[in-house]
Amino acid sequence: MIIADAVNTAIIGKGLMIGGGFIGPAIGIGLIGGNYLQAVGRNPEAAKFLGQALIFVAIVELFGLLAFASIFIVK
Amino acid sequence: MINLFAVGPGPIVHVAPAQVFNIGGFTITNSILYGWACALVVIIFMVWVARQVTIKPKGGIVQFIEVGVDFITNLVENAFEDKKIGRKYVPFFVTIFFFILLNNWLGLLPFVGEGFHSGESPLLRPFTGDLNATLAIGAVTMLTVYISSIREAGGPLKYLRHFFIGSPLNPLYFVIGVLEMFTDLTRVLSLSLRLFLNITIGEIVISVFSYLGHVAAPLSALPFTLLEILVAALQAYIFTILSTMYLAIAVNHAEEHASDADLTEDGVPETIGVTASGSTHG
Repeated sequence: MIIADAVNTAIIGKGLMIGGGFIGPAIGIGLIGGNYLQAVGRNPEAAKFLGQALIFVAIVELFGLLAFASIFIVK
Repeated sequence: MINLFAVGPGPIVHVAPAQVFNIGGFTITNSILYGWACALVVIIFMVWVARQVTIKPKGGIVQFIEVGVDFITNLVENAFEDKKIGRKYVPFFVTIFFFILLNNWLGLLPFVGEGFHSGESPLLRPFTGDLNATLAIGAVTMLTVYISSIREAGGPLKYLRHFFIGSPLNPLYFVIGVLEMFTDLTRVLSLSLRLFLNITIGEIVISVFSYLGHVAAPLSALPFTLLEILVAALQAYIFTILSTMYLAIAVNHAEEHASDADLTEDGVPETIGVTASGSTHG
């Protein structure tokens, strides 16, 4: 109760939301990029699959963007 | 410390479009206004490019558009197992790609946003930085995908049949199939939200960094503007390839089913039952 009076808890909530929401996609995009480079390193022919790797980047990225979008709901 | 370099109340961030004027009860927002202007520019530019195309390439911006058309044509044709079916849908996807790409890039121009004001609100706003706009693009794309895949499957019932891996009478396959249908419906939202959020976040990042830069605003915002040019192209590409994939999966699946229409998994236990009862009789 006292904390809620002293500080704006919405700011803390938004910060936690952004921080937590962006960790997952960051790890996911890192894994996709790392595995893509590993595949290219093993087999240079696999470099043509960059487009398919980008599709998965887009799918993973959406969840981070949703976390960003939901900070506008917090009042 | 930041307050030393920055002035004003903070970076100006708009997420929703602002109303500019009314026409007979319809609200015209700033993103609609810029969307019309961009659509006009895109139409005139593309018609001009189409007249400039020659067999011997001359280079310049026409060459760039030609490479883009060729790229998307290859992408769409290779997604389908039968290239003749893929060829039919190339014009639509090329149009969607260039519309989104040019709208994203035109939205990065310096006068868009806080450049001109009408009253309190800015007069122009990036068209793809508005959820209504991207929702419209996503709805048109997914309607085309649904109608085309129903037509390729040969009827609505045959199209719905593809969501069930086995017989719909099996409760497990029924639940999985209904879930698949709901997943299909969320694609409109995921396509449009991805495009809208990427462009809007780009606008916000540029706004924040030009605010932090204060006097050197063009310098501090430049790297992020360059990054946004890349993101704009990437988002147009991703929108196109994802909608192509949605259509290609449905169409390729339809062809697969047409060849082995009689082989349903539900047939297996039935034949076992028949042979078991047949053996008791015999």
